[in-house]
Amino acid sequence: MEQARLSARQLFMLAILFEHGSAMVIPLGVDARQDVWIAILCGMVFGGMLFLVYYRLFTYYPAVPLTSYSQQIVGPFFGKGIALIYVLYFLYIAARVLRDFGELLLTFAYPETPLFILNAVMMITVMYATYKGIEVLARTGELFFFSLYLTAFLGLALVMMAGLIDVHRLQPVLEEGWKRVFKVVFTQTLYVPFGEMVVFTMLFPYIHQPEKAKIVGCLSMFLSGINLAVMMATNIAVLGADTVSRSTFPLLNTIQEIRVANFLERLDVLFMIALVVGGFFKISLFFYAGVIGTADLFRVKEHQRLVYPLGLSVLLLSIAIASNFSEHIKEGLNIVTVYMHVPLQIVLPLLLLIVAAIRHRSSRFFFTKQEKSKRG
Amino acid sequence: MTLVHMMLLSGCWSKKELTDLAFVIAVGVDKKDGKYVLTLQVVNPGNVAGATQRGGGSSGLPVTLYTSTGDTLVEASRKASKKISRLTYYAHTNLVVIGEELARDGITEIFDAIERNPQFRTTASVIVARGRTAEELLSVLTPIDKIPANQIIKTLEMTEKVWGENLNVHAGEVIESLSLAGKEVVMSGFRLDGNRETGKKTKNVQSIDPYARLRAEALAVFKKGKLVSWMGGEEARGVLWILNKIHQTALNIGWKEKKEAVSYKVVRSKTEVTAKMSKGNPVISVVIEAEGDVGETLAPIDLTNPTQIATLEKKIRNEIQKEVQKAIRHAQREKSDIFGFGEIIHRTYPKEWKQMQRVWDEQYFPHLPISIKVDAFVRRTGLRNKPYFQ
Repeated sequence: MEQARLSARQLFMLAILFEHGSAMVIPLGVDARQDVWIAILCGMVFGGMLFLVYYRLFTYYPAVPLTSYSQQIVGPFFGKGIALIYVLYFLYIAARVLRDFGELLLTFAYPETPLFILNAVMMITVMYATYKGIEVLARTGELFFFSLYLTAFLGLALVMMAGLIDVHRLQPVLEEGWKRVFKVVFTQTLYVPFGEMVVFTMLFPYIHQPEKAKIVGCLSMFLSGINLAVMMATNIAVLGADTVSRSTFPLLNTIQEIRVANFLERLDVLFMIALVVGGFFKISLFFYAGVIGTADLFRVKEHQRLVYPLGLSVLLLSIAIASNFSEHIKEGLNIVTVYMHVPLQIVLPLLLLIVAAIRHRSSRFFFTKQEKSKRG
Repeated sequence: MTLVHMMLLSGCWSKKELTDLAFVIAVGVDKKDGKYVLTLQVVNPGNVAGATQRGGGSSGLPVTLYTSTGDTLVEASRKASKKISRLTYYAHTNLVVIGEELARDGITEIFDAIERNPQFRTTASVIVARGRTAEELLSVLTPIDKIPANQIIKTLEMTEKVWGENLNVHAGEVIESLSLAGKEVVMSGFRLDGNRETGKKTKNVQSIDPYARLRAEALAVFKKGKLVSWMGGEEARGVLWILNKIHQTALNIGWKEKKEAVSYKVVRSKTEVTAKMSKGNPVISVVIEAEGDVGETLAPIDLTNPTQIATLEKKIRNEIQKEVQKAIRHAQREKSDIFGFGEIIHRTYPKEWKQMQRVWDEQYFPHLPISIKVDAFVRRTGLRNKPYFQ
């Protein structure tokens, strides 16, 4: 842990940027077709419940990150194992998001540039930010928060002005019933982006006013959920469910449809801003959590010393995890969800919470007994 | 650090200078001997920009045409490089022309390349070259708007707006219609009149009455991606009424013995289509509201009299209703649901649609009961109330 303090507002903005991150540009939960906005909102509700689990753990151990309190909860041996798994998970997801980012840029803007170069340029930036520490990252977040929101509002306003929205495309609502929606919720939207809030178990100890952590987390998830749902609904209302479900980047296609007054068109740069800003914060936060977790686990005093080796590993990993885009997406949806998101976002935190709760209760019980006997 | 920055910031990876790009403004697609024939209308930058400063008539032509064949569109596009000295650049392509022969053969697959390519915009307009190949249609020089592709698009946009028998359809909409079970493709046709050979030369635009002209034609009605018939005149306008695409138009109504006596200018209109179920069968209702002015009378009518106006309104309603009915009859005869009624049923009754979906074109749509309700209002009568003749 570095010596740093974040205000509640900074954490809130970081969380918003993090949640929007890549979720904004990828076809998030499109298997639900026109009901994808419902799927996102449901994902938000269940994701909120998960967040409360993470928050409860934080209230038990307000001063240390997940990698430390896992050792306090289940003992040094298992605790270190769990911490190691989480560190690897964070780094792996950082590599995945980096790959996402590179692939997206490559597909639509830089078809002739090697993936490695784009990923390397992004990773150098991320490594620099991580080197400078969380406070710097948070301040950058404050800056970009507004630019991202401005872009989003501009984009939405232009889509509306161009008269592209046809709400009928969102019908029929719940065509296949709730089954399809919940299938998407529990295989996709719950974990990405909402379950990924598990990263913040590593950042909560930095918050200046711990009592605000709960409201910050809930509010940021609520706001991101609403924003993402509105955005996907807009995509569908503009393009139709079929096009969205076949598209690699629905948001890009929506923006390309904009034509206002014969000169406001080809606004792909809006998409580009959203992609780069969102991608940067998502990768940075995962990477930072990974670095700080490693430092905490192996008792490295300065986390800066880990930035270069780990950054290089993440960069190489991002290239090595898949040989093509389809494979990358398939892995993300099938393998990562089942073997990583479910155990690490839901099962392990719940188990930790149960054990922690029992420990706290028994210790409190123990203390009160002692006090009584003293008085007696 | 400085070194790294110098390497990263100094240049672009795959930079292309403006002088290395061939801006394709229109793409024509035909099929010949089982192969695609791609026609590219490429802008000749030197002869377009600044032509007015140099006194209008510049020596060269504003555009050049290239054709190339291939089994796929991408192959044809790449092969075109044998003839073009610059890299074909599709980001400014605003028009896709489909030859009638290919349209009759089926257009389902040709949009994949357009949709997949990040350069190409799905906002490009799509038209069919009536009775011609796309190549022939694109090889005509046009006056006023020097670039023929722009001439076509602007004509299309303008006529849709003020007359309403043509439809400016984007590639994205075509793709959507092709992918939906309850909606068929409909788009405008363009015709080439006059002498085609002279149309290719500068001579064409040097004449006050060009030897060859391009003209917006009837609507091409597709069924399962294949052109099945053409729909012109009032029928075509009927389609636009139903699709809620009428912005402005002019209708002629008879008065007493005289046919076509009053011209009614529509200023705004709105159409709502809804679906209902009656005894397990779908029923479509079309509600049209139109508002407009009287533009011209050829018969002596006292337009200061509100009862006369009311009679006029009633006649207008019948006229619009007639057009819409014609359009529906035509489409039902061709069993092609160009209005997207199926999609509306899908949206309102998803469960029932499941059973209908497969046999929609054959069993349901041709016999679909459709109720049409028209409300037309005459709001103003222009600068005069009574005509000067009696």
